[in-house]
Amino acid sequence: MTLRSRTVAIGLHAVVSLWTLFVLLPVFVMVISAFKSQAELFTRPLALPKQFSFAAFERAWGIGISGFLVNSILVTALSVFIIIFASSLAAYILARSERPVMRWVYVAIVAGFAVPLQSVMVPLYQLVSGAGLLNSRLAIALPYAAYGIPFTTMLFYTFFLEFPRELEEAARLDGCGRLEVFFRIVLPLSGPAIASGAIFQAVFNWNEFILALLMLTKSDVRTLPVGIYGLTGQYSADWPALMAGLAIATLPLIVIFLLAQRHFVRSLAGLGK
Amino acid sequence: MPHLEVRDVVKRYGTLTVLSGVSFAAEKGEFVVMVGPSGCGKSTLLRSIAGLEEISSGSVSIAGHDITAAEPSDRGVAMVFQNYALYPHMTVAQNMGFALKVARRPKAEIEAAVTRAAEILRITDHLGKYPKALSGGQKQRVAIGRAITRAPEVFLFDEPLSNLDAALRSQMRIELSRLHRELGATMLYVTHDQTEAMTMADRIIVMNGGNIEQIGSPLDLYNKPATRFVAGFIGSPRMNFIASRVMRLSGRSVGFSLGEGRPPLDLEFAPGETLPILGDAVTLGIRPEALGDDGEVHIADAEVTVVEALGRETLVYSDARTLRTTDSESLDGYFAQLVPSQSDKRLGQQIELKANRSAFVVFAADGATLHDASPIHHK
Ligand SMILES: Nc1ncnc2c1ncn2[C@@H]1O[C@H](COP(=O)(O)OP(=O)(O)O)[C@@H](O)[C@H]1O
Ligand SMILES: [Mg+2]
Repeated sequence: MTLRSRTVAIGLHAVVSLWTLFVLLPVFVMVISAFKSQAELFTRPLALPKQFSFAAFERAWGIGISGFLVNSILVTALSVFIIIFASSLAAYILARSERPVMRWVYVAIVAGFAVPLQSVMVPLYQLVSGAGLLNSRLAIALPYAAYGIPFTTMLFYTFFLEFPRELEEAARLDGCGRLEVFFRIVLPLSGPAIASGAIFQAVFNWNEFILALLMLTKSDVRTLPVGIYGLTGQYSADWPALMAGLAIATLPLIVIFLLAQRHFVRSLAGLGK
Repeated sequence: MPHLEVRDVVKRYGTLTVLSGVSFAAEKGEFVVMVGPSGCGKSTLLRSIAGLEEISSGSVSIAGHDITAAEPSDRGVAMVFQNYALYPHMTVAQNMGFALKVARRPKAEIEAAVTRAAEILRITDHLGKYPKALSGGQKQRVAIGRAITRAPEVFLFDEPLSNLDAALRSQMRIELSRLHRELGATMLYVTHDQTEAMTMADRIIVMNGGNIEQIGSPLDLYNKPATRFVAGFIGSPRMNFIASRVMRLSGRSVGFSLGEGRPPLDLEFAPGETLPILGDAVTLGIRPEALGDDGEVHIADAEVTVVEALGRETLVYSDARTLRTTDSESLDGYFAQLVPSQSDKRLGQQIELKANRSAFVVFAADGATLHDASPIHHK
């Protein structure tokens, strides 16, 4: 390695390390605060707790985190399932069709990716309200799905362009119709694309706040981000319990992300073709 | 009635015509090999027969049924791909039984078919493995096994051996021939390798640029090539091609130029053969094994430039500067000579290139064969 490229490498590492610290520090503070008492949290905010107490977690659970957790899981699972199912099928047809019009359909879908949420919030609210879905889990699961489909379609599209055609042709000779080729051959071999699409959308939908705040006004249907936010006023005296609630909301995703990051990085690296 | 019949098949991609009216037929149980250079449309023709490509016009029938518009799986064909195309998420047994499973055949029947195919191909020990645990040769066997379990009317092979190394390739050639005898099935086999064609085929179809140049048995093509293209494609090392001109004509005797200062080569044309016209540019062809130190005709003096000692035989390349070639694949004046023994020829040595009159082939300017050579028989 030349001196110059080594200097560049050291510089890059320094920047990335700083950035990582910047991102991880709040998470770290949140986790240690969850183990502290109220007094300790304010007197020694950055120190490790003197003793690890799970009392705050118990209190957090007691004030409704468990319900929010269930809602979050249901909403995330449903929306991610719809996204993966619809995007993979759409992308497959777009990637395999030779009809010129399909290029335009693809462009239209990708364009949907560029519509900011804020600009459609009011009509979206009216739509959901008109459908009588306000204060139900579908009220956010369906918009989440709609929002996740363009990006995930792009992801699958690039993946399918590289997918070996001979496998599909062999399957057609073996008697599979188009749908059977997709479900028996293509989809089972799309693990990397499914994994990264699912993780990406799960992270986004698990953390989504604005839509959930707008659509879910009743406490029993709220997801974790809005649910915990709703507790801040009521339980402002109990910061450790809030921190424990937030920790419960954050950790599942971090764990999943760590387990699957290999897939995630690999398939994002293939985007843009 | 032929078992497989292809009639006037045309395939166009936009303005590009890949197949321009291809017709041939194969009898039941025949092993037909289609050869031709890369890009001449072999795969396209095979895929058209399989139903993976829609043809622009023409028709295909198998076992008396017109299947031009049928679904790939309803045509009674099975295809073996160059890259094996095994399903990576299925075991060897599942790969081989997949077609029957899709057709919802009973489990026992699938198992029996898979076991039988595995025995024929000697891959019984690998049935539980996944494709990625197999070597290239084993994968190719599985791919063939997948075709066998379907018991198709016609097997289609698209360069199935080209990803294997040379030793394995010659072994698989023998096995495929054995398989063909055992199954008695109709097979259409595509390759760009003339050795595969010569060794395995009952009949060879030579393709060039979307057209069939000639159909015939391996030795027919070797001894009586219909065109200069076939003469150059079949046989290794290639036939030598010499640019020449018709110098004199008397009766059926034709004199061809052999370069400055050399007497013309007189050849006697047989009654059925088309005579050229005086002054015509033609090509003389001569096989490497027909060139030697003695013979009726002294073609040229030459200098040895390369000697390839293969043990049993020797390939001697020499440069005869007085002669031009009409072959775009070889250099002017370069001759290949196949000596059926070890040779003491050295680099730089001056030699005389000689051959018998009966060894010359004559091609017209458009490539059509005007005059055939007689095959050489060693006692
Ligand atoms: N899908 C396609 N679109 C356009 N041209 C094609 C397509 N498939 C093949 N071709 C062209 O058709 C010609 C013949 O191809 P192919 O049948 O694969 O040749 P071979 O198998 O003899 O090497 C080539 O020139 C190739 O570029
Ligand atoms: Mg090919």
